[in-house]
Formats: sequence, C-alpha cells, structure tokens
Amino acid sequence: MNGLAQKIALAKWMVAGLRRIGQISITVRKDGAFSLTHREDTARDDFTAYSAVEDAAEIARFDDAGKYRPLKTAPNLRHGWQLMIGDLSGLRLALDLFYPGRLAAFLAEENGLLETTPLRESLERQSGMYRAAAKIRDEEADKLVGNFCRSDGGCLRTILWKRDGEGAIASTQLPPEKFDPQHDQTGLAEAVVPLLCQEACNLLVAEARKMVKSEGVASPAE
Amino acid sequence: MISRSNSALLIVGHGSTVNPDSSAPTLKHAAEIRRREIFADVACCFWKEEPSLRDALLFFRDGTIPEVYVVPNFISEGYFTRTVIPRELELTGPETHRSSGQIWKYCEPVGNHRGMTELLLRRAHDVAPEISEAETSLLIVGHGTSLNDNSAAAAKHQVEKIRALNRYGTVLNVYLEEPPLVSDWLKLTETRNVVIVPFFISDGLHSDEDIPAMLGIDAADRRSTGAPSQLHGRSLFYSTAIGTDPKFADVIIEQTETFRAQRLEPQSAS
Repeated sequence: MNGLAQKIALAKWMVAGLRRIGQISITVRKDGAFSLTHREDTARDDFTAYSAVEDAAEIARFDDAGKYRPLKTAPNLRHGWQLMIGDLSGLRLALDLFYPGRLAAFLAEENGLLETTPLRESLERQSGMYRAAAKIRDEEADKLVGNFCRSDGGCLRTILWKRDGEGAIASTQLPPEKFDPQHDQTGLAEAVVPLLCQEACNLLVAEARKMVKSEGVASPAE
Repeated sequence: MISRSNSALLIVGHGSTVNPDSSAPTLKHAAEIRRREIFADVACCFWKEEPSLRDALLFFRDGTIPEVYVVPNFISEGYFTRTVIPRELELTGPETHRSSGQIWKYCEPVGNHRGMTELLLRRAHDVAPEISEAETSLLIVGHGTSLNDNSAAAAKHQVEKIRALNRYGTVLNVYLEEPPLVSDWLKLTETRNVVIVPFFISDGLHSDEDIPAMLGIDAADRRSTGAPSQLHGRSLFYSTAIGTDPKFADVIIEQTETFRAQRLEPQSAS
C-alpha cells in the first residue's frame, strides 16, 4: 500500500465520487487542481488560503479553540481554511497528513490485505507503563470504547476490530453503523473514503490503562 | 547521490499526545527526504501519534517495494528501539523477511550517527558565532535517568568526544532529572559565555519551558531577538533541540547507508 499505489487508488476513488474523507470535502477544479475545505464550510468564502501540502499538518494540528489534536480522526477539525493542491501526488500527501495512514488502510481493505487485531491482543502485547491496560474488564472495555470511540465527539473511524479472539463486538454501546465502512460517520450521509480502524490506537490503550489505574486508586477511598 | 529506487524509508518517531511540536521535526525531515527522490517511498510513524507503528505495517504490504529501511528518530538505543519498535513493527532482528519476500532493515537510531558530534558543535557555533570558544562553556542537555533509555549515556558520550577536541573552555553534561542539573549551570561554569544545546529530538515542553526555567531565561524572548540572555554577569546562548537541525535529514539517510555497509562487511570478510 505504498504511496504510488495510494495515489492511483485515490484517482479511482475521486472518479467514483468519493470526494469526502472524514470532515474534509475535496473539489476537483477545472484546471485539475484540488480544493480542500472543511465539509461544514462549503457555503462560506472567508477562508484562510493555504497552498503547500505540508500546510495540511498545520491545519490538522489544532482545533477551532487552538487546542492540540492528538487524535487526527477526532471530529474536531478546525474550520475556515481552504487548501489548494496542484496534483494528485500532493493530494495524497495532504490527506495522509490530515488523516495519517487511513488511505493505506482503505486500500489494503479493498485489496483484501487489511488484517485486524482484537483489542485484547493489542492490550496484552503492551509493556512498560501500558502493561496494566490489559487488566481492564470486559464490561469496562465495552463502556470505554462506547464512549471514547463514538463518532459524535470521539472518533470518526469505522471500527473493524473485535474485543477478543472470540469475535465479541468492540462495544455494545455503539450503533451498528459504527462498524459499517459504507456509513458516513459524520452523519452527513454522503459517499466517503472511510477512515478504517484495524486496531485500537495508542490513545485508547492509554485510556484503558487510566481506567484500570483509577479504579485501583479510587476503590479504597470510596 | 545515492539512489534507492527499490527501497522505502520508514522513519519512526516518538510523537506526543500533549506536545504539538513533538512530531514536527520528523515530518519535516521526511518531507525533505521525499523531495530528494532517493527512495521509492518515504513514510513516518509514531508511538504516540498517527500513523501508528501498527499502521506502518500496512504501508508497504503490497510487496512492490523489495526492501524497507526503518530508521528510529531517537537520540539513543533503549526501551523504544529495543522493545517497542521491534514488537509493534514485528521485527525479528536487523533484517526481517516478510512472507511476501520483502525485507525490513532495522537501522540504528539517529543519535548513534557518527556525525552527531559535528552537528552538536555546529549548532553550538551557530547560536553563538562571534564568541571565543576557548572562553566559553558548552553544556549539552540530556533528559536523565527517569526515561527508561540510554539518552544520558549517549549525551555523556558526545560530551567526551567534544571535550577531547579541546575547542571549548569547558564541556559538560547537564540533565533535567539527574545531577548535574541544568539549574546548577552557574556553579558548574566559570566562563563569561555559556552555550546550551538540548540533546533532544524535538522542541517541546523540555526545551521550550523546562530547560529555560532551570536556566532562569525566557527562551521565547531569546529566540525572537537572537541575542544572548544576560544573567549573573554571564551571557547565555540557548539553542533549539539538536533534532530540529535540517541536517538530520542527511543523518536519517546515512543511517540506511551505515546499515548497508555493516551488513556488507561480514560477507566480504568471509
């Protein structure tokens, strides 16, 4: 799923009408350039203009309130910008800065090469300070994933992994469409390049650890 | 110029969930290396940011690129380079053969590069070009023992090499979390000029706030004016983290060269 393969796939997705990815809208201009904006900004014209591929990283770094976005697939992409990209190579790189690794994941899925890892396996693999995360109980994990990964306020990825090797659902608290790559997780019901999640991210692992740790500290005091 | 049209480069950074500047140098070096068109593909991955190390397993899975060089953008060998990166990237040794036939080549961290001493010296010179080095103390700042790695040992090694060159009046290691502490700079030095270079991969909490606070200077003010901070009758010249140096792009490329040379040596000797 190298950069060139992603670029070719991206061209195909554009032609197929997949011009939304996460909170980003892509418009193909007559001169072949691409205009990227926040999907909720398509009606406005008071943009701050950007034209370098690397500007994507800068735009993606902070939310509207100027707060750092450690999770790039969180639904808090800032508004008010327009990024003009001259060619497909640049578009591929820019989208990879907005949503790192997601084009590769979608392409791998299309080619039947996307392997998913159950949450338990990810947690049990950890060492050092994150080793404790594996102690999270099933019902706690269910609640944590239901809250941390939810599309409205948590993360816009489509979860493909299971809770364990037995195939338990990642969280019973999430709606069925959270696991459907065809579904637009923003709720805007458009055709999208999905942000596939093949394995729990480090932020979720850290939250699992936090939950285990806080339990250990909080219990005796309660 | 070297050409690696059959190879991909994967740069591994630490990243951060709280520090927005942590991954910036790694992304910048990757962009510069990509611009030079040496490798068939250049990608980054991070322990604490996206794309994750696990995501990186997907990047070259189609197997069209025969070899992938993995370069840790870390100051030293340690927990991350020996435990976390091999585990997450499923590396079994210096060379890992995937089922597709693709070979992943695990290089040494950038901090081990033979040119690191020269980079530190250049950084020290750039921040204080007009001063007499013989009448200057050079402080190399490391993190110290709280990190489960060898960054302190790596910083110490660099200081020993710089000291042996007899260029600066004094060359010392100072640390954030173990003695000799950065905050003891006044006691540790006697020269009028003091140059401080953080031996870190990126600017962030440590180099922007912790070290300046321990020195007693305003780093933001220092960097905007370019003038040294005057304190206790001394001039303090404070540099940005060594890892932000654009030369790190060359260092990353050269770590792949070093890997290749080291793998060739035993074969040619036999």
